[in-house]
Amino acid sequence: MITVEGLSKRFGNTVAIDDLHFSVQPGRVTGFLGPNGSGKSTTLRCMVDLDHPQSGNVTFSGKHYRQIEDPIRTIGVLLDASYVHPGRSARHHLEYLAVSNHLDRQRVNEVLALVGLTDVAHRRVKTFSLGMKQRLGLAATMLGDPEVIILDEPANGLDPEGIRWMRDMLQYLAGQGRAVLVSSHQLSEMALMAEDLVVIGRGRLIAHESAADFIARHTTTRIRVRSPQIGVIVRAVQERGGDASMLSETADTDGALVTGMSMIDVGELAHGNKAVVHELLEVTDSLEDAFLAVTREDQEYRSGSSS
Amino acid sequence: MKAIIASEWLKARTVRSHWVLLIIAMMFPLIISTLVGIFNPDPQFVSYREVVSIVASSGAFSLLLLSSLWVINLTSEFTHGTIRVTYAAVPARWKVIVAKAVIGTLVTAVVMSVLFWLNFGLGAALLNSRGATIIVDGWFDHSFKVFVALVTFAIIVSWFGLGLGVLIKNSPVAIVVVLLWPLIIESLIALAFALSGYESAWKWMPYQTAFQEIDGPSGVDSALSRPWGHLYFAAFVIVVGIIGVVVDRRRDA
Repeated sequence: MITVEGLSKRFGNTVAIDDLHFSVQPGRVTGFLGPNGSGKSTTLRCMVDLDHPQSGNVTFSGKHYRQIEDPIRTIGVLLDASYVHPGRSARHHLEYLAVSNHLDRQRVNEVLALVGLTDVAHRRVKTFSLGMKQRLGLAATMLGDPEVIILDEPANGLDPEGIRWMRDMLQYLAGQGRAVLVSSHQLSEMALMAEDLVVIGRGRLIAHESAADFIARHTTTRIRVRSPQIGVIVRAVQERGGDASMLSETADTDGALVTGMSMIDVGELAHGNKAVVHELLEVTDSLEDAFLAVTREDQEYRSGSSS
Repeated sequence: MKAIIASEWLKARTVRSHWVLLIIAMMFPLIISTLVGIFNPDPQFVSYREVVSIVASSGAFSLLLLSSLWVINLTSEFTHGTIRVTYAAVPARWKVIVAKAVIGTLVTAVVMSVLFWLNFGLGAALLNSRGATIIVDGWFDHSFKVFVALVTFAIIVSWFGLGLGVLIKNSPVAIVVVLLWPLIIESLIALAFALSGYESAWKWMPYQTAFQEIDGPSGVDSALSRPWGHLYFAAFVIVVGIIGVVVDRRRDA
């Protein structure tokens, strides 16, 4: 289990992390989300003693990272897939890590096979695509068969097959009882993968809860209804105390979005008013919608309007 | 610690640019010896002392290249970000630096030893074939003293490169400092002292003091004779190294 307590880190006058508290449970994939510049990578670097926080603690089952003997055997870390010497082969990259932590070199062959790089293991890394480097980084992470896995943007550069493979693998690893912490901007992936979420903005904790609770708490469920007699349904909804706004997307059928009522209520209401229904659908916002809603005030770099 | 040294050895030997630098460092003195052996106009007047002197002088170029190699071996880790992977695998950062120093020491000692005797043998053989008499009484005693001095000096310079590398982190800047230190930087420091009234300060410049004593008493008014000059330089380099390790421990990787 990873425990982060009161972690704070400044770079000069800039506060990167501000009194951060959260924990990562074994047996679960925890998504680590935040806008650009929110302090995710700094937090991950502080966890593995690469950056030194001004205050706070990070422990792995009660131990600081620097107290762990041969840490690769306990904690697998992928901070950036490009942290590889371009002139060194993939196999040699893994071998020097294995040797430094008293791991059998046979393990290098196993992780190369696991990530599908056996055939190119002799090639120098400068000939690798970003996706291949990500796979190599994941191989390095798995080298010591660790209990804790920390990954920063592991899906960057992976093709769709690679993304699915990574998702399945991380879920499989969590299923074996390992604690998996994954930082990512690919929210659709995170929605499929993560059971818990830690959301930060400007270095502060915004949310730390299960992904299902986070989405439920920060999104609205609406009912989309389409009908030739949409006016009748809208009036009926409003008389019942619901809220409905008209849609006019299609030429042949008008529609409305209803909030404050269940899909069953809207269906029964239409039936009671003898209105023909062409579509009745529950529309739930995505993790992306929830994330954007929660971090709206904490976006350090905001895009201009496209209109 | 053995595992970390083995890991650093694997790192050092699996990058092609390291081998290229090593080959250049070995080829240059051999070319010089060959040219001297073939084209010296008066080979019959050449003594073993002159051959040893040429070997030591050309070896000084090699040790600067070797020192640059150890600079690159460390600073390229900062350039490519592999230092983060290394420090995540070995959180006791000083162990990584010490392991690099051990590898630097061993490789430098072996390369400079091979280079010295190969170079001496080549030069002596070529000159002998042209009428010189290089192998006479006393050649080995003198050659061996210079050999030990050169190898010791080369090892200290390799530590110096490593110490500067860990402090500076940037490959080009660190290499420039290593190369210019004996040529310009110590002279400028001595000049600054001289302008302040300490005219004998140049005798205490650590690199020059050690370097002048490689080939026996240089005739230059050095403050320290061999081996004290080397110990003095080594002490200076170890202080640079310790500062580097302390700074490296405190800063973010």
